[in-house]
Amino acid sequence: MTTTATQDPQGRPGAGADPEGRRSWERAPGAALAVLPGVLSSALAWTDAHRTRFALPDDVLEPHTQVNATLKPLGELAQLGSTIRRTTAPGTPEHERAGDLVAYAWEQVHEGALLLELLRAEPFAAYPYEIYAAFAGYGLRHEGFEALARPLTATRAWAHTEQHANRQLGLINSERRVGVVTHTDAGGVLSRTWLGGLSEPWMFEGPSGYALTHTVFHLTDWGRMPDRVPEKIDGYLRTWLPAWADGCLESGQWDLTGELLAVAASLPGPAPAELLDAVWPVLADVQHPTGCVPETGVPVQDPAPDPYPFIDCYHSTLVTAFAAALSLRSLRGNGERGETGGAAPGRERHTP
Amino acid sequence: MFTTDTTATDIELDLDAALNPGEVEGLYRDSRECAYLALLAGGGALLLSPPTPRPKKG
Amino acid sequence: MDQKHASSPLAGAVHDLATEVVLALRSGDHLATVCGAAGIDEENRTGIAAVRVIGADLLLPSVLYGRHPHPGDVAVLDRAVREFPPKPDAPAATAWSHWHMISTLQRMAPPAPGATAPGTYAEPDAAWLEEAPWQAFTHQLSVLAPLAVPAAPSAVQRAAANRAVDLSRGFVRAVRRRDWLQAAGAGRWLAATGGEPATLGLDRGLDFVELMGGHDPRVTLHVRAARLMAEARAR
Repeated sequence: MTTTATQDPQGRPGAGADPEGRRSWERAPGAALAVLPGVLSSALAWTDAHRTRFALPDDVLEPHTQVNATLKPLGELAQLGSTIRRTTAPGTPEHERAGDLVAYAWEQVHEGALLLELLRAEPFAAYPYEIYAAFAGYGLRHEGFEALARPLTATRAWAHTEQHANRQLGLINSERRVGVVTHTDAGGVLSRTWLGGLSEPWMFEGPSGYALTHTVFHLTDWGRMPDRVPEKIDGYLRTWLPAWADGCLESGQWDLTGELLAVAASLPGPAPAELLDAVWPVLADVQHPTGCVPETGVPVQDPAPDPYPFIDCYHSTLVTAFAAALSLRSLRGNGERGETGGAAPGRERHTP
Repeated sequence: MFTTDTTATDIELDLDAALNPGEVEGLYRDSRECAYLALLAGGGALLLSPPTPRPKKG
Repeated sequence: MDQKHASSPLAGAVHDLATEVVLALRSGDHLATVCGAAGIDEENRTGIAAVRVIGADLLLPSVLYGRHPHPGDVAVLDRAVREFPPKPDAPAATAWSHWHMISTLQRMAPPAPGATAPGTYAEPDAAWLEEAPWQAFTHQLSVLAPLAVPAAPSAVQRAAANRAVDLSRGFVRAVRRRDWLQAAGAGRWLAATGGEPATLGLDRGLDFVELMGGHDPRVTLHVRAARLMAEARAR
């Protein structure tokens, strides 16, 4: 999108922001904590104000309806909303709002009845189960759905669903959320992912980036279980995340930036504070006054509401809220990982 | 004394720039994956759009 | 800078000179003069300026193969040092490359008794480099890649050795930006000083950078230098 100049005319780099004053990688301890509460609350406020845009249309079960424009956003609202709910302190407005959003999503699927209808319509698809698991992980369950899913998920065919390794980790996490025996061992699947292979970091780009972030989300149950990240992968991520985040910022990949921040905040041990302090202020600048964050590209300066089409900003806004909640937890050294045993995976927009 | 028709000033300006160059503009381009992009677009629309300009080099 | 080699007489001369250094590195034979092959003599000001840009890398084949440099190249390098001294307010990178040319001449071709040396030049400051963010650090180190040679200690080299992870991040960043010249320079430093994280995959990365950016002979120059140094380290 733009170039980064890293030196001033005297050739003394590190003097601060680049010529556009856009960003600086100077160490600024506390910079993330200074912006994070505002980023989180305004991203959630935008989501709340646009909750009806997540509403499912009447024809959602019809074969012609675009799943990626209907069920997927709603599943993401449920997944990320429930994670934010667990990650924030009871009694705070963010905690209440996140809870409201999950309840709204649950209403939209008729307390699970609509997901059962969906499963009856497409019994061999994995996505109804993954969306259901987002709710089940939060304690919202539907007996009829589970009754039909149980024999299906015990089949050889289910265990041999053909998909990318990171997505298979998502399925394993869904099984864990629902509470059935997982169809295979997560460790073996992890080793087949781009991340698990400790891939050459200079081969990072958008698709491998999303594969990597989702590997961590599914592995850690959306940041709830950082200790599931093996030591080697923890070290690998701490080493290379700064380089990858830099490229995302320069190329205006805000959605992926948010996902990388969520990954950084899902690592075991101390928060990678230097990275969070460097990147969060930039993402905070990109966030529109109304709270939404564009997926990619030059941010709109117009303060009028709805500067971006919903489909181009809802995901990155949810991701920003999710990453902000995890980052606050990580930076505050709050070891509490949740209230009821964890979040659940949902379908993510960028999962291949 | 020098066998060149380039003025000293030109050379010195070029030299100063060459000795202390700024960064070139970053060139970002991700792999395309048809099914993945179709998913991103919420349909097949992107498949029909013109290809992203290819990098000039390599 | 790939499109630039035809953009000015200087850029063209730098391109030609770097090409000759690469050829000498490749053959391992340094009997002929690099400058002579590039058509540069002491009377060609653009050529001398190109030597100033290539800097001490003019003698790189001799440095890496441990041979005596060709007197013609020594003379032209000496001429470039005298012709283009840094101004008092010159950027740090300019001061450092000037210093390195002088110290390379002193090391590789001490003046004969009675001859005038190019004079002394105090080692510039590098404290700013130690404080620079890793992105700017890598960019500056890449500009100063000629200092990445064995047995040539400097404050820049110590900074590089102390910040191998930052340089590795900078290598990754440069590849992502398709800034092959910066990537090659950063990779050369890592090959010279070591200490990069094992997961970097520097060897394959350098192969990739050379194949993608090798239309710029300076990229090839740095990658070849890196390989020769890595081989020497492995022995």
